[in-house]
Amino acid sequence: MFKISSIRSILESTLFVWIGLTLIITLAGNSLVLPDWLQVVGRSHPILLHFPIVLLLMGLLFFWIPGIDKKPEIREIGEISFLAGCNFAGITVLAGLILAQEEYTGEILTWHKWGGLVVFGGCVLLYFFRAIQANIIRLSSVALAIAIIATGHWGAGLTHGEDFLLAPIQSNEIEVIPLAEAEIFGDVVQPILQAKCISCHKEGKIKGELRMDHIEGLQKGGKSGPFVLAGDFEKSLLIQRINLPEDDKKHMPPKNKAQLTEEELLILSEWVASGASFEQKLVTLPAKNELYQLASVKFEGNKIYSFDAADKEDIQELNTSYRSIQALFPESPALDVSYFGISAFPPKSLSDLKIVKDQIVRFSLNKMPLAGVDLKFLKDFKHLEELQLNFTDLNADQMKVISELNTLEVLAISGNTVDQASIQNLAKMKSLKKLYLWETAMSSQDQETIKKALPETVIDFGFDGKGIIYDLNSPIISQAEMIYQDSLEIKLSHPIKTAEIRYTLDGTEPDSTSSTIYTKPIFVTNTGKVIAKAFAKDWNGSKPTESVFMHSGIKPSEFSLVYEPNSKYKASGPATLFDLEKADASNHGQKWLGFQDEPMVLEVDFKGLSKAKEISLSLLYNEAAHIFPPEKVSVQGLENGTWKTLASNSPAVSTKALSARSELLTLELENTNYDKLKITLTPLAHLPKWHQNPGDKAWVFVDEVIFNQ
Amino acid sequence: MEKEILEEGLNHNRRKFLSRLSLGVGSLALGSLLVPDLFSGKAEAEEAMMKALPHFAPKAKRVIYLFQNGAPSQLESFDYKPLLNKRMGEELPESIRGTQRLTGMTAGQSSFPLVGSHYKFDQYGESRAWISEVFPHTAGIVDDICIVKSMHTDAINHDPALTFFQTGAQVGNRPSMGSWLSYGLGSENSNLPAFSVLLSRGRGNGQGVYSKLWSNGFLDATHQGVQFSNSEDPVLYLKDPESMSRSERRKMIDQIAEMNNLSMQQFNDPEISAKVKQYEMAYRMQTAVPEMTDISKEPESIIKLYGPDCLVPGTYAANCLLARKLSESGVRFVQLYHQGWDQHGNLPNEMRLQAEDVDQASAALITDLKQRGLLDETLVIWGGEFGRTNYCQGKILVDNYGRDHHPRAFSIWMAGGGVKSGMVYGETDEFGYNITENPVHVHDFQATVLHLMGIDHERMTYKHLGRRYRLTDVSGKVVKDLIA
Repeated sequence: MFKISSIRSILESTLFVWIGLTLIITLAGNSLVLPDWLQVVGRSHPILLHFPIVLLLMGLLFFWIPGIDKKPEIREIGEISFLAGCNFAGITVLAGLILAQEEYTGEILTWHKWGGLVVFGGCVLLYFFRAIQANIIRLSSVALAIAIIATGHWGAGLTHGEDFLLAPIQSNEIEVIPLAEAEIFGDVVQPILQAKCISCHKEGKIKGELRMDHIEGLQKGGKSGPFVLAGDFEKSLLIQRINLPEDDKKHMPPKNKAQLTEEELLILSEWVASGASFEQKLVTLPAKNELYQLASVKFEGNKIYSFDAADKEDIQELNTSYRSIQALFPESPALDVSYFGISAFPPKSLSDLKIVKDQIVRFSLNKMPLAGVDLKFLKDFKHLEELQLNFTDLNADQMKVISELNTLEVLAISGNTVDQASIQNLAKMKSLKKLYLWETAMSSQDQETIKKALPETVIDFGFDGKGIIYDLNSPIISQAEMIYQDSLEIKLSHPIKTAEIRYTLDGTEPDSTSSTIYTKPIFVTNTGKVIAKAFAKDWNGSKPTESVFMHSGIKPSEFSLVYEPNSKYKASGPATLFDLEKADASNHGQKWLGFQDEPMVLEVDFKGLSKAKEISLSLLYNEAAHIFPPEKVSVQGLENGTWKTLASNSPAVSTKALSARSELLTLELENTNYDKLKITLTPLAHLPKWHQNPGDKAWVFVDEVIFNQ
Repeated sequence: MEKEILEEGLNHNRRKFLSRLSLGVGSLALGSLLVPDLFSGKAEAEEAMMKALPHFAPKAKRVIYLFQNGAPSQLESFDYKPLLNKRMGEELPESIRGTQRLTGMTAGQSSFPLVGSHYKFDQYGESRAWISEVFPHTAGIVDDICIVKSMHTDAINHDPALTFFQTGAQVGNRPSMGSWLSYGLGSENSNLPAFSVLLSRGRGNGQGVYSKLWSNGFLDATHQGVQFSNSEDPVLYLKDPESMSRSERRKMIDQIAEMNNLSMQQFNDPEISAKVKQYEMAYRMQTAVPEMTDISKEPESIIKLYGPDCLVPGTYAANCLLARKLSESGVRFVQLYHQGWDQHGNLPNEMRLQAEDVDQASAALITDLKQRGLLDETLVIWGGEFGRTNYCQGKILVDNYGRDHHPRAFSIWMAGGGVKSGMVYGETDEFGYNITENPVHVHDFQATVLHLMGIDHERMTYKHLGRRYRLTDVSGKVVKDLIA
């Protein structure tokens, strides 16, 4: 067993070994030729360095424990830890000195190297003089701690790049560069190198003897050859290395480092292909050039305006709830002004714009009532390019003022009447690139005149709808209820005021000549269906629209279902059938009773209070969803203990799938002397052959059963 | 009242807890985990970011998104595959299907018979794009639009796919695209919400839409989509009660704001100032909205352009017309949803009805924006959440079949706002099953939309619960080929 004291003496002696070796390597410097195996030791520097940092800082902490002198055993722990730290510091410094021979140079390296040496020397001194005055020791311990941290920071700067530590809290604002000024190298290529290459190829860490942090370095190339040769993929090492498979030792960036994206690869290749220039501007490339297309997206084709920006406070003041003034983009002096809100438009406010008259390039007054407003102020807008004045009641005098605005490129005056004089004036606006003249009451001859006068201008006359005859939309039927008890008011309406509505109540389709014209609300007292169509001049008649109304006269005293409806479609049970609420045909999930495996068998009892003569069933049909008319409907009455069939019906089945709809099936009873009735709806056993699932069982959906006397 | 007292107590406890905690050094770390912006000067950082928006000159100022909810079949609209008609009823080759997962609706099917379009296709415009006969009006504007045939998505069911398209994630807790744009660019017109939502329902098999789709997620509540309904009150609860005058209302809002500001000072909850802003906006909307929804001043050619349905509130056509009016008035993002495109069965019948409802009005919107000179600054998008399978769901009949969900390839179109016009982008294989050229992922699509609005999708972020979020999550690249 070793005693603590013997460990201590061994560690103290090894310290001198490290001091000796360190002195040799430091002094002999670059003249030493190191064997390869030592390189391995050198490269373990990044692992080793953690030991001295932790051990030394821990040891230093012990100097600060109050009354440590009186606790020798605790002091011992601190001292041993510090001593071990000194040893590791020595080994780490040695490894570092060996590593520094490899490919590191520069200012940070010098700082790191000497910092390491100072730390090593300092900790050795502190260890051997640890017994002197406590205050001096404590002061030196602080200095040593600072030296350790500083050295560590410089070291990290070498591996991770200088700004690594503080980068996350530094401002990362990106300057927006206009396309016209963007340089291929400076603004497109260099940012990629900066992000993916420079951390290993820069002052302080020049791997492969290639410096990428300045242009001279790139032009000079590295140890293996030239960095780029214009247009030569073979000899440009940049292109070679980045295109090697990722596992290749020479692949760049090295495996495990951030790789180039596909787009970055393309940009670098295209840069070399296009001549690898360090000065060329992006815009000098042809628009079809791949590099131009790739890179131009990063910058904006923002038009550069040479005039001065307006005062920011002025602009802010001019922004009101009815007027918006914005720069085209944040750095642009050019302004875009729009007015909104007809009721809040004060024409006087237009004169406020005087202070930004030089900056306004786009101006929109669409829909603002400009009748009688003097537009001469527009002539002061020296840089106005786009003017939007749709639907502003312009007169010929105002148009004349507008036609004299010779900086205009885009003019929209749709929705204003353009007379002959104005056409002549507009025809002089040769600078116009686009002109919008929809709804301007111009004849086709006028249109030709202006087209001829302005052959370079794109003119849009819009859609006039002439000669096009559309189907009217169907009238709207509104009724308070589908099922009613006394009488029902039905109203018909149409969004086009001039449309004529005709309707029938007998189930036939209305025609444009003989059917009743709707003039006032219809009152009904029976069960039936209203069908309506709309007609108007210049329009085709509408498709018919219909709506059922059901008169519910009597209600049975008792009712029950022999078989439960399917558990998925049971709504509120049998009560649903008598709730007088018509369910929506498009939503069969909630208010309809559905039957598939069993028929619907409904038994009702009037208890002698009333007699039913007519039975109406409200059914849902939706063939695509397997919901069909029942195969058979029958009504039976109870007579002397046996059920006697009173009426039956087999409704017709559609021969194709129609959309979901609700239909009313009515049966008349000849004999009304029955208190108890049984209504049976048998679902279709086999879906017809045309159906997508022929042979399957069909569903029957019911939502109301209505009895009338 | 009890609830309020309890909450007040909890708030005090929370404060006490936090102030005790702040004594310890550990609480700094914990605090920065719980309140991620504790040390980053959130307000300033965010403000600086907002000032930098848009990042560059936008090509489009506004978006109108015509969402075809339920997923219209690409094979009956824009992706013409005659091979499917030729090989009708034959089995979908394994080599084509590959590892594509199936929905529970057809996974149990023993055979996957190919089925061709019931409708005829023809080529239109200078771009010679193939369009089916049920979209005649869209065919008429084909040179103004850009059809993307190579869209693909991650989700295979409606809700996740829809949520993915709208928020960039399949789970519903992120801000919608409109909310992001409202957050990033604000409203042009301060009298109307920057993000408005319009719903309509077609005659085909429908799928639900939920308010989470236009949710502000973790963004300020002012960025939530405002739904316009088709009732007499287009925006619910906006009208003053009877006998309340404008000035009384003004007074009331001012006083509520005063009280809210007091609690803002006490609790510093940003939701309180959001509330104050919303009251203000609602007050201004009281005059702006009736102006907006009044269509009596529209010329008759407009009615003919959109079709007579545009006069019936709540129809897709009426919503398209309203969308144009909202957009023209500076609403940054108008989101339409039209339900009814989920044709698992009865496709030949239902899809025709669906197309009848949307075709004319969608095309009309493009023409209408164009004739006002607004198409150049308005981006219009038409499309669903995924595509439909090239094989039949259930059995094929002479004139009836259905198609299941297909996320691997589908078609949408875009127009205006800096998008190339008269172009067909991307290609699928002969079976219409896999993309063979220029795939566009949902995130790529979102990145492109943001780009057109002047926003770098990677730079518009919001820090929430310790990480920065963006609409495109962690992927997406701008499809530059689509940009004019």
